[in-house]
Amino acid sequence: MTKPNINRREFLKLTAVGVAVAAGTRAVASTEASSDTPKGKHQWAMVIDQSKCIGCGYCTLACQAHNDINPELQWNTVNEVGMVGEKHVFLPRPCLHCEKAPCVEVCPVQATYYRDDGIVMMDYERCIGCRYCEVACPYQARSFNWKAFEGENPMVPEWGYPEVERRPRGVVEKCSFCYQRIDRGLERGLTPGLDQDATPACVVVCPVGARLFGDLNDPESNVSKALRENPSYRLRENLGTEPRVYYLPAVAKKEA
Amino acid sequence: MLKKLITPWTAWLAFLGILLLTGLVAGIFVFWKGLSITNLTDLVPWGLWITMDLSAIALAAGAFSLCAAVHLMGLKRYEPIARTATFVGLIGYTMAMLALVLDIGRPDRFWKALVYWNTHSLLWEVTIAIMLYTTVLVFETMPIFARFEWLRHRFPKLTTRMEHIHHYAPILAIIGLGLSSMHQSSLGAAYGIIKGRPFWFKPEMSVLFMLSAIVGGIALTLLASMLASRLTPKAKVNDALIERVSRFVGWLLIGYFYFRVWDALSMSYTYDPGRSEGLQLMTKGPLAFNFWIVELLLGMIVPMTLLLYRPTRTNRFCRMIALFLIATGVVAFRWDINISGFLVVMPYLPGQAIGYTSYRPSLIEILTGSAIIAYGLIAFSLGVKYLRVVDHSLIEQTQETVTEQSGEAVPV
Repeated sequence: MTKPNINRREFLKLTAVGVAVAAGTRAVASTEASSDTPKGKHQWAMVIDQSKCIGCGYCTLACQAHNDINPELQWNTVNEVGMVGEKHVFLPRPCLHCEKAPCVEVCPVQATYYRDDGIVMMDYERCIGCRYCEVACPYQARSFNWKAFEGENPMVPEWGYPEVERRPRGVVEKCSFCYQRIDRGLERGLTPGLDQDATPACVVVCPVGARLFGDLNDPESNVSKALRENPSYRLRENLGTEPRVYYLPAVAKKEA
Repeated sequence: MLKKLITPWTAWLAFLGILLLTGLVAGIFVFWKGLSITNLTDLVPWGLWITMDLSAIALAAGAFSLCAAVHLMGLKRYEPIARTATFVGLIGYTMAMLALVLDIGRPDRFWKALVYWNTHSLLWEVTIAIMLYTTVLVFETMPIFARFEWLRHRFPKLTTRMEHIHHYAPILAIIGLGLSSMHQSSLGAAYGIIKGRPFWFKPEMSVLFMLSAIVGGIALTLLASMLASRLTPKAKVNDALIERVSRFVGWLLIGYFYFRVWDALSMSYTYDPGRSEGLQLMTKGPLAFNFWIVELLLGMIVPMTLLLYRPTRTNRFCRMIALFLIATGVVAFRWDINISGFLVVMPYLPGQAIGYTSYRPSLIEILTGSAIIAYGLIAFSLGVKYLRVVDHSLIEQTQETVTEQSGEAVPV
């Protein structure tokens, strides 16, 4: 699956160089930087424990408030996926922040890109609204702003206060692992995953502690530990997208 | 007085003008209200407009293929047809651009693809290639625009220069061939690389898009020429030339038919969740009529027969029917591929069954879409009338390269 990609990349690079002369080399250089997922100091990841999740949907509501999302859209959805014994099993789905994200690969203007810490970010100033990323995302994690979101956010203030700018009509948006909380938290010397102010809103609000957040580069972080001690899986792993959201299955927990 | 005004020509223009104006109003609504007034959704983010965009580019492919044949393969006698094809090509690409401007959420940011390059993105490659190739087409059609009487009287020096570009035709043909082979295939690959949707995820997509574009593009150019020559004395065609190219199209169609059927057949045994469901939609589901009748029977088998069987091919009516059916079949192919990939909703949850969704273009999409078609028809009609876009006698007078086989130009 990767081999043709490399060939294609090489080929396009050659073509690009041929055509590039006028447009300068800076644009090409920045493509290079984003195409090979860079590994920064931190590698953020989320672990969702399905044996704990009760499907209350607070995560979705807190997300709507903190990221000031149009009530018609959802960055984080909670789906019921079946039963284990007497218990209903749920699967909440934020953006999975794939290490090899199809959306990043297809965006014609690099409006979606990898941060050094593994977060798949959106540049809402650059997005042209072609929706190719929506077509490419295997997880339906992206929403297009079909309408402008005007007026008050019904989730505010009950579920929190907006921390980021509202997106305009005509661009695609998605979960950002609450990058604003991580970045501001790190500036203040906090540890994402441990300190609430530096942790994604969905993780903080979860009443049963079904979500863990932390740094995969730190072997002592709660996500590293949870993944070491429990069997886990990721969504549509066969596609090779390498998501950074891991699930601890409800079934395995019961047997343990 | 009024009777003088109402001629078939003015009535035709008025009809198209109304379509154009209605679409213009609808287009303003789209920019004003946003894409929420379409029937597009997050599950079907690409619909009618994308199909139009893909079809317009496909049916414009006569330009690069015929220019390559004439200027690179040395089939000089077909130059009058290549001339029409370039003009049709320019119209097709501008139509595609209009559809794209409607379709993207932020048309004001269209230029960003020129500044922020993602060389990984097929859509980036397509955007750049389309812009470059449209520029090539503008140069290629300059000698045609130099035919405009008013321009000739007003700026004789300019038109002489514009005609002079004709000498660079072989170079333009090489660039055009390169750019077109890339983006015609890449449009297919834009679907072919989506690994989350197995119905699309296969290398054949680019081959199919390329082949169908060449077949459909040449067919549309021939059809437009023949139709124009029937409707107005301004258009003069050499029917022997058209007939020979039509025969070639018939053979090409066999190749396209083979690939299309083999592609569908192979999907039936390369089972992958989502792929077989897409095939089902196409062969038994809501797209079955499109696939079996419009694409395969009417779009390939019937025209193939009509164009390869001499008595029907030499019959102008039968030939025109065949060419029309081919072009329609290519549009149906684009629609089927795009839509069936979306209607099958791939589950991301473990153990969940494959879902289905539906899409039907809204009135606003249809109105703007028909306005884009009306624009194309107006542009072609004006070209025929004022630029002598379909005039096979023109080049024979000015150029001596035409061989004796080409025969007499027949005004019909």
